[in-house]
Amino acid sequence: MFFQVLFKGLISSNTWYATLQFAGLLILPALGGVISERSGVVNIAMEGMMLTGAFASVMITLAMHNIGLPDFLSVILGVLGAILAGGLMALIHALVSINFKANQIISGIAINIIALGLTSYLVFILTPSGQGVPSLPGNLRLPTFPWGPLASIPFLGLALFQQNVIFYLALLILFGAQFLLFRTNIGLRIRAVGEHPKAADTAGVNVRLLRYMCVISSGLLSGLAGAYLALGVSGIFLDNMTNGRGFIALAAVIFGKYTAIGAAIACLIFGLGNGLSFALQDLNLGSLLNTLPYVFTLIALVGLVGRTTPPAADGIPYEPGSE
Amino acid sequence: MAVPLKQPETKEQRSAASLLAQWTRKVGAALGGPILAVLFALIAGAIVILITWPDKTVDPFRNIYNAYTTLFTGSFGSPTKISNTLVVVTPLIFTSLSVAIAFRAGLFNIGAAGQLAVGAMTADVIGLTYTSWPSWLLVPTMLLASILAGAVWGGIVGFLKAWRGAHEVVTTIMLNWIAFYVTDYLISSPRFTAPLGVGETNALPDNATLPPMVNYINQFFGTQLNPFLYRVDISILFALIAIVIYWFITSRTTFGYEIRVIGQNPKAAHYAGIPIKRNTFLVMAIAGAFSGLAGAVSLMGQEITLSLTGFSQSTTGFDAIAVALLGRTTAIGVLISSLFFGGLRSGTTDMQAIAHIDPNLVLIIEALVLFFIAAEFLPVLRRAMPGWVQWSRKPTLVPTASVTPGTDVTENGNGDAQNRVEISDLDKEE
Repeated sequence: MFFQVLFKGLISSNTWYATLQFAGLLILPALGGVISERSGVVNIAMEGMMLTGAFASVMITLAMHNIGLPDFLSVILGVLGAILAGGLMALIHALVSINFKANQIISGIAINIIALGLTSYLVFILTPSGQGVPSLPGNLRLPTFPWGPLASIPFLGLALFQQNVIFYLALLILFGAQFLLFRTNIGLRIRAVGEHPKAADTAGVNVRLLRYMCVISSGLLSGLAGAYLALGVSGIFLDNMTNGRGFIALAAVIFGKYTAIGAAIACLIFGLGNGLSFALQDLNLGSLLNTLPYVFTLIALVGLVGRTTPPAADGIPYEPGSE
Repeated sequence: MAVPLKQPETKEQRSAASLLAQWTRKVGAALGGPILAVLFALIAGAIVILITWPDKTVDPFRNIYNAYTTLFTGSFGSPTKISNTLVVVTPLIFTSLSVAIAFRAGLFNIGAAGQLAVGAMTADVIGLTYTSWPSWLLVPTMLLASILAGAVWGGIVGFLKAWRGAHEVVTTIMLNWIAFYVTDYLISSPRFTAPLGVGETNALPDNATLPPMVNYINQFFGTQLNPFLYRVDISILFALIAIVIYWFITSRTTFGYEIRVIGQNPKAAHYAGIPIKRNTFLVMAIAGAFSGLAGAVSLMGQEITLSLTGFSQSTTGFDAIAVALLGRTTAIGVLISSLFFGGLRSGTTDMQAIAHIDPNLVLIIEALVLFFIAAEFLPVLRRAMPGWVQWSRKPTLVPTASVTPGTDVTENGNGDAQNRVEISDLDKEE
């Protein structure tokens, strides 16, 4: 019975569509997390940055639409606004944890709380009589990428070629990030700053600047993911709509051993758990399937499938010149 | 023979003014940081109101005034309001103690929300299963079971930290979501879910609930207070007892001393022969027990039912961190700051009804308090302050050792990662 349903789920293209969509949503904040942690700044605030991005994307798109801009321009501005909003949250995290040497976990929690509070508060202020944001019409959402005839391939078409534009952008960013981190000069510097900031500093690397850039880019990526979620997948903004996705991304960062490709594989696995949850509905497993990402990550942490170790200086503020 | 360098001062030798000055310095040292953090957060919250101008019928400054006055009168303005505030404060005290005791050992318990969910669910399952049991048996069983469930959920974290080196921030976040989804699963399972109410468990029977405080007050003083107006239940007494227990554990027992040493300097603790692994496990189990009990009392005293996604949507775990940090992880500090945050929470009803300001403002204020506590703005400010507003130079009770995966011992505090110590590796060192 179980395997029958599982098999039916695995050969359904809907499952794979949902899997890839979920993975695409997760990979952006996960990459942000990888970059930030590699540079030595613990980031558990992807959730909040994503939520801010989702909020900004919907609000800006609606506002631009209301002042009479063409639809596609409103959407593009919405996405850009989301990226900037996520980056702004990350800037706060960077400022507090790099300059003011705050505990990065507390700062991350504070970012998550303020994102939740501020977005809900602003929804109440900005919408008429505080009744929430209306659902966006189709022409104000992010479209699927026009692959033309490829989209109508049986099975593969739906899963691979009918995804949102941001999905393919995320793929590009994924390979870009892996290349950047492990094949370029600047990637070497980022990793050096995360492993041994003093040595990097001695070698002439600007530790603080590099960490700033990494933290901010994690915010930019999470903001983009927020736009993907709000403008691409849901078409609406709801309070706390990220609903833990930022934390699954964090799990993916750790499960993927702090590499871009590893995180992507983790996202795929977690995405499959999500994709299968539709197919396995008949089994009455309900929300138990949703625990899979976290269970996997715990197992990885415990070291049953190769222990993950964070960068050596992850989470330690750097203070140049103190001895 | 050792000659004392300074004559010991006796009380008689000191003038009243000098004693007063000493007292002010002491109080200022303990309260300066947290009070400034709250003050800054309230000012920043006022700026948010000023910019957003939520109630356009009056001017923005009036908005700020209305917001803060309704927050206060709405939480402490009348006996009923105070009672409602205490309802919010009760579980908050438990979860904050949970976070605080973990902080003492240099551990970040972000898992209070998950431990609470597990505790509440366990109590609910027992309460709905053994409905025929008499109250004197059922209620203690539920409370103990929730303590045990929370302790197990927290103990897992401690175990993984001590023996496998898994960082507690990550494991608690993972276990939180596992707890949320497992409880959601149980809540929506046909065995517990209410036949008509979608996504809600059946209400607990009367013999599985905690009675309101006023029942006893009425009995004792012969008053006629209405339990529907004064909703606070007897678990507020449990919370006060828990605070005393926390104080006793942390400042009067060897265990409390040992976890503090572990929190401040794991390496020193190791060489002093303190059993780090056992204590790490124990402290997380105790932390979990506090949170588990929080879940049970709020279910049995107030909620009566559990609702789907209720745990994952609530901000309890975050609130607890804010309270524990604002209270500097001391027993009395936790009490005061949970009254503060609980007051903010319960005051929002009036703030929304009278001043027309969204309750989420409180979340913003809470986050700002966290920022101002966590960030080292204070050294900058300290230089600009007059002498009597000094604050503690004692090492902070949130040790920097808890920041990262593995417990770091940065001897010179400059980010040199070579001194990192994983407590799970300490035994192998020699």
